Amino acid sequence: MAPEEAPDLTAAPEAARAELPPEVVAQSLGEYVRAYAARIKGGESGVLPVVAAMVAIVLVFTAISPNHVFLSPGNLVNLFQQAAVFMVLAMAEGFALVLGEIDLSVGFVGAIGAAITVQLVQPTTTKWHWIPAIIAGLLACTVFGLIQGTLITRLRLPSFIVTLAGYLIANGIFLDILLLGPFSGYPNLLGQSDNLSVIYHLMWGIIDPTVSWIGAAVVVIAVGLLIWLSDSRRRKSGLVAPPASLSLIKIGLIAAVAIVVVAICNTNRANLGTLAGVPWVIPIVLGVLGAWTILLQRTKFGRYVYAIGGNAEAARRAGVNVALIRTIGFGLCSFTAGVAMLLYASLLGGMSNNVGGGQYVLYAVAAAVIGGTSLFGGRGKPLHGVLGGLVIAGIYNGLYLLPQLSSVEWQYIITGLVLLAAVVIDAVSRRGAASGSVTRT
Amino acid sequence: MLALSAVVMLACGGDTGVTPGKRIALLLPDTTVSNKVKAYFEANIQQVCANCSVLYSAAKTDAEQQAQATTAISGGASAIVLEPLHDATAAAIVTQAKAANIPVVSYDRLVLNAPDLSYYVSFDHAAVGGLLATSLLTAMGTKTNPTVVEINGEPSDPNTKSFKESALAVLKDKVKLGAQYDTPGGVPATARARMAVALASLNYKVDGVLAGNDVLAGAAIGAMRGRVRPWPPVAGQGAELTAIQRIVAGEQAMTLYSSTKAEAEAAAQVAYDLAFGITVPPSMGNGKTVNNGAGDIPAVLLTPVVVTKVNIESTVVADGFWTPDQICSSQFVSACAAVGIS
Repeated sequence: MAPEEAPDLTAAPEAARAELPPEVVAQSLGEYVRAYAARIKGGESGVLPVVAAMVAIVLVFTAISPNHVFLSPGNLVNLFQQAAVFMVLAMAEGFALVLGEIDLSVGFVGAIGAAITVQLVQPTTTKWHWIPAIIAGLLACTVFGLIQGTLITRLRLPSFIVTLAGYLIANGIFLDILLLGPFSGYPNLLGQSDNLSVIYHLMWGIIDPTVSWIGAAVVVIAVGLLIWLSDSRRRKSGLVAPPASLSLIKIGLIAAVAIVVVAICNTNRANLGTLAGVPWVIPIVLGVLGAWTILLQRTKFGRYVYAIGGNAEAARRAGVNVALIRTIGFGLCSFTAGVAMLLYASLLGGMSNNVGGGQYVLYAVAAAVIGGTSLFGGRGKPLHGVLGGLVIAGIYNGLYLLPQLSSVEWQYIITGLVLLAAVVIDAVSRRGAASGSVTRT
Repeated sequence: MLALSAVVMLACGGDTGVTPGKRIALLLPDTTVSNKVKAYFEANIQQVCANCSVLYSAAKTDAEQQAQATTAISGGASAIVLEPLHDATAAAIVTQAKAANIPVVSYDRLVLNAPDLSYYVSFDHAAVGGLLATSLLTAMGTKTNPTVVEINGEPSDPNTKSFKESALAVLKDKVKLGAQYDTPGGVPATARARMAVALASLNYKVDGVLAGNDVLAGAAIGAMRGRVRPWPPVAGQGAELTAIQRIVAGEQAMTLYSSTKAEAEAAAQVAYDLAFGITVPPSMGNGKTVNNGAGDIPAVLLTPVVVTKVNIESTVVADGFWTPDQICSSQFVSACAAVGIS
C-alpha cells in the first residue's frame, strides 16, 4: 500500500493518454478502440484478464467434464447460485480495497447478520416477519463495520489488525447467537412457515419463465435508456462523452447477455418433471451490483472513495472528510457482507457452526482482485467482484464435476494459483504505469 | 446384484448387451476413512455396472458439501449417497435433489427432518449394547449371578443412552451390576479413575467388564492390570487397533466391528437400484424404517460383527481394515504367532 506516484501531467501526450479513460480522448468509435488498446498496452488492462480467465475456464471444463456437462443449462444456473455468495462478498471487500484498506472480518461479520435473521424468523421462538428480521441482521453488520471503521480512522489503527480482531470477536458472537435457540441443534430454514420460506427462496426461489422474459426486457430497456439518455445529454452539452455507436454497442451487449441468461435459465433442468426459470438470486445480485455501481461511479461519495484510495493525503488537502468517508466505507463493507452471508444461509438452508469465515475472506479478496480490483487502492468496481466470483465458483464447480480432481486439495491449489496470477497482473501493471512516469522525467 | 443387472439389460432392450452408464455421487465428510469408503463403493458399482461412474467428493465444511451436492445434481448424477456433515444444512440438499427428482441415500449418519430422503444405510446402533452384552454373558460361561462393571460414554450422547438400554435388557436378572458409571466427554483418564474406585469397592473381584467403546475398555484394563485375578472378560466396541492388539494378547475378550466394507457395499447396492429405478429388494432392509423427524425412512441397518481371538483374521484383516503388520508390531509378535495371525 505504498503511496502512489502522481501522474506527471507535463509528460508526452501519448504517454499521458494511457492514463486516461478512453472516452475522455476519443471522439469516434475508431479512436475509442485505439485509445483502449493504448490503455491495455500501458498496463491498464481492466476486466480483460478476468474475461480471458472465464473463457479459459469454460473451454477447459467443457472439454474435460463428462458429457461436456459443464456447459449444460442446469450446471450454469447452479454455478451462478454457487457464485452468488462469492460475488456479493467480493463487492463488500471491494469497498475496503478501493479505499486502500483491507477487511478480514467480512465472513464472520456477515455470518452474525445472517444468524440473527435466521434466528428471528424461527416459527417456534421469536416468530418475526422476514422484513424486520433481515433489517435487524443487516443493521447489526453495519454497526459492527462502523465501529471497526471508527477505530481505524479515529485512532489511526491499521485496518489489517482491527479487522483481524473483529474477525475473532465476530466469530465468537456468531457462535453465541447460533446457540440462542431453545431447539436442539442449529436453526434451519426448512419448515412450514412463510417467513422461513422467503429466506430460503432468496437463493432457491424461481421466477416463472414468462415473467423472467418480461422482467429481463424491462431491465434491459431501463438500463439502455439510462445509458443512452445520459450519454446523449453529455454529447449535447458538449461534455466528454463516448460516441453514439459505442453507446449502442453497450446497450446491445447488455441485451445479448440478458437474452442468453434468461434463455439458459428457462431451459428445463430437472431429471424428471420441470424445473425452469430465472432464480431470484440473479436479480438480487444484479440489484446489489447496480446500487453499488451507481453509488461509487455516479455520486460525490463515490468520487471521494476513489480519491482517498488513490491518494488519501491529496484528498484531505482537497477538503474531503477522509475519516468520515472511510468509516462509512467500512460500514457499507460490513452491510454488504451481511447480504452475502444471508444468501449463504439461504444456499445452505440454515446456519451451522461450521462456517468457513476465514476461507470466505480469502475468497472475497481473491474474487475482487481476480476481477480487476487493485490491492493497492483507488482502482476497482463492483463489477470486478461479480466477475471474480464467477471465476472462483467456475473453478470449484468444474473440479467437482471431475471424479479425478474433485478433492479439496486441487481446489485450493488452483484457486491459489489464479489469485497469484491476478496479483501479479495487478502489481506489474502498477509498476508499468509507475516506471513509465519515471522514465518520462 | 448380478441378476438385477441382467434384468436391467433386458429392460433396456439389450441391443448392445451393455448396461447404460449412470453417474452416482458419493459425498462424504473429509475424514480418515473416506478414501476406504470410496474404494469399496466404487469397486461394488463397477462390478455390477462397468459403464457407471462414481462422482466422489469429500467436504470439510457444510458449504463445500452443499456445493458438491448441487454440482452433482446439475452434473447429471442419477442418485446421491450423502454422509451429512451437519444436521442443520443437510436437509436442504435432500430438498434440492428432490426438486430435480434425484434420490438421496443417507450414509452412516441420518439426515434429519428431510421427508424426501429415499433410504438410510447404517449400522443398527440400538442393537450394539445387546449384542455386546450377549457375547459377554457367553464369555463369562456358567458362573451364576456374576459381578459385572458397566462403563458408558458421554452421558448426553444419544448412542450412550441406547447402549445402556439395550445392554440392560439383556443383562437384567442375569448378572449383578457391581458398578455402572458414565464418562463425561468419554475421557479415558476419567474412566480409569472411576474404574479404580469401583474395583476397590468390589474388593477387586470382577467377573466381566462391559465398556461402551474400545477407549473405555482400554482405560478399564489399565486400572485392572496387576490388581484383579482371575482376569475377567472385557468387552469393547470399535475394532480399534489397540483393542485388536489387546485381544491378541488376551487382555480384552471381544470388540464390535462395524465393517466399513459391508456398509459401503450396502450403500452402493441401494444407490445402484435407486439410480436405475429398480425396487430395492426387501431382503436388504427387512422392512425396517427409521424416523428422521419428518417421516419414516426405509433403512438398511447392518449388524456389527463380534470380533474375538478366533476371527480377527476373517474379519478386520480380511477387509483390510488392519493389516497383520499393523497388529503384530514388536511386542505383539509372539502373541500373534500364538493365535496364528501372520
